[in-house]
Amino acid sequence: MSGDLAARQAELVAALVAGGPLPPGFAPAPVDAARRALLRKRAGDVARHWPLLAAGLGAEWPAVFTAWADGRPTGGSLRDGWDLARELRAEGTLPPLGAEELAVREAASRYDGRTAPRPRRRPAFARVGGAVAVQAAGRVRLLRPAPR
Amino acid sequence: MTGPSGVGIGWRPEIAGFVAGLPGLRFVEVVAEAVTPTGPLPEGLAELRERGVTVVPHGVRLSLGGAEPVDPHRVAHLAGVATALAAPLVSEHIAFVRAGGLEAGHLLPLPRSREAVAAVVANVRRAQAELPAPLALEPIAALFDWPDDELDEADFLTEILDATGALLLLDVANVHANARNRGDDPAALLDRLPLERVAYVHVAGGAEAGGFYHDTHTDPVPAEVLDLVRVLCDRRRPPALLLERDGHYPPADELRGELDALAAASGYPVVT
Repeated sequence: MSGDLAARQAELVAALVAGGPLPPGFAPAPVDAARRALLRKRAGDVARHWPLLAAGLGAEWPAVFTAWADGRPTGGSLRDGWDLARELRAEGTLPPLGAEELAVREAASRYDGRTAPRPRRRPAFARVGGAVAVQAAGRVRLLRPAPR
Repeated sequence: MTGPSGVGIGWRPEIAGFVAGLPGLRFVEVVAEAVTPTGPLPEGLAELRERGVTVVPHGVRLSLGGAEPVDPHRVAHLAGVATALAAPLVSEHIAFVRAGGLEAGHLLPLPRSREAVAAVVANVRRAQAELPAPLALEPIAALFDWPDDELDEADFLTEILDATGALLLLDVANVHANARNRGDDPAALLDRLPLERVAYVHVAGGAEAGGFYHDTHTDPVPAEVLDLVRVLCDRRRPPALLLERDGHYPPADELRGELDALAAASGYPVVT
């Protein structure tokens, strides 16, 4: 086994974060423990970037985030939270606090789901689950909270 | 500016007020990726620098153990942060954090192979060529090992340090975690490490879960880790010891208690 460190590192990372197969020779239980630990750490990182989304889900946050993130490589905590919030909105399970946070983010930045969000230059308006946020001259505020 | 000395704490924005209020504090560490070299320093950190507190930038995303050459932009960032802080020392991990275009989001262990030694040494030399201060390398806590290790932990680390001239950032919580998870004797590893090259020591809390010891940084420092600090200091006391806490910050009294316990275990003056 030499000269292929790059390929073997890539296989291992894929197994840990992208649902790839366990590379030959690794003990399954310790690698699985590491995979779960990575998901817990990531849930904490995303909660720091999306505090209202996490707070809105409360005790459900780790399970909801982990179910979504398992096998899905990170795009960074900002985009991870954004993608998850949009998915929950589509499912109709986004809590009011998360809807307000998403509305504020959508009004402030343009995000295509594939590349890093970019600040909006023009005045903007976003409506998520009844929450309404507006942005003008770079200042964002929540115009109407989501119904409880 | 002098190197790290005595008892310090990892500076984090969440506990900046607590850290600022520690009268005897002589050094802190800051996560390098949290500082913009060309912008203003994070609030609170500039005041510590004005007080003459040593600040060591601690990189977590360089991926020195990656098979690919280290990203020059990341090295330049770390170097810029060290310059902005007038840091006497910079630290990073012996680990990789990305491969094949995917981010792991955490520090992953290397195979203890000649090929991995060569990869780390090449990347450390690339980084050292750009850094304005000496580099200290930190072995990580790993939940799993690679299947084809050629070297043991002590030989693996010593080969890297010898080939690069880097200093050692020894994490006693990692030593405890690895020994516990592999069923090894932590003191036996200390006996075989080049303790004269330790620049400073990390101490952190962790917890048992699912049959493994996890180096969480969100739990209190367990008695076993403090015992290991005493064992280390009996062999050779390091110049400095640093408490790491990331998230779930406890009340100030509990943090003060952990810093005092670290001072008591090492024999350095209390900083609280």
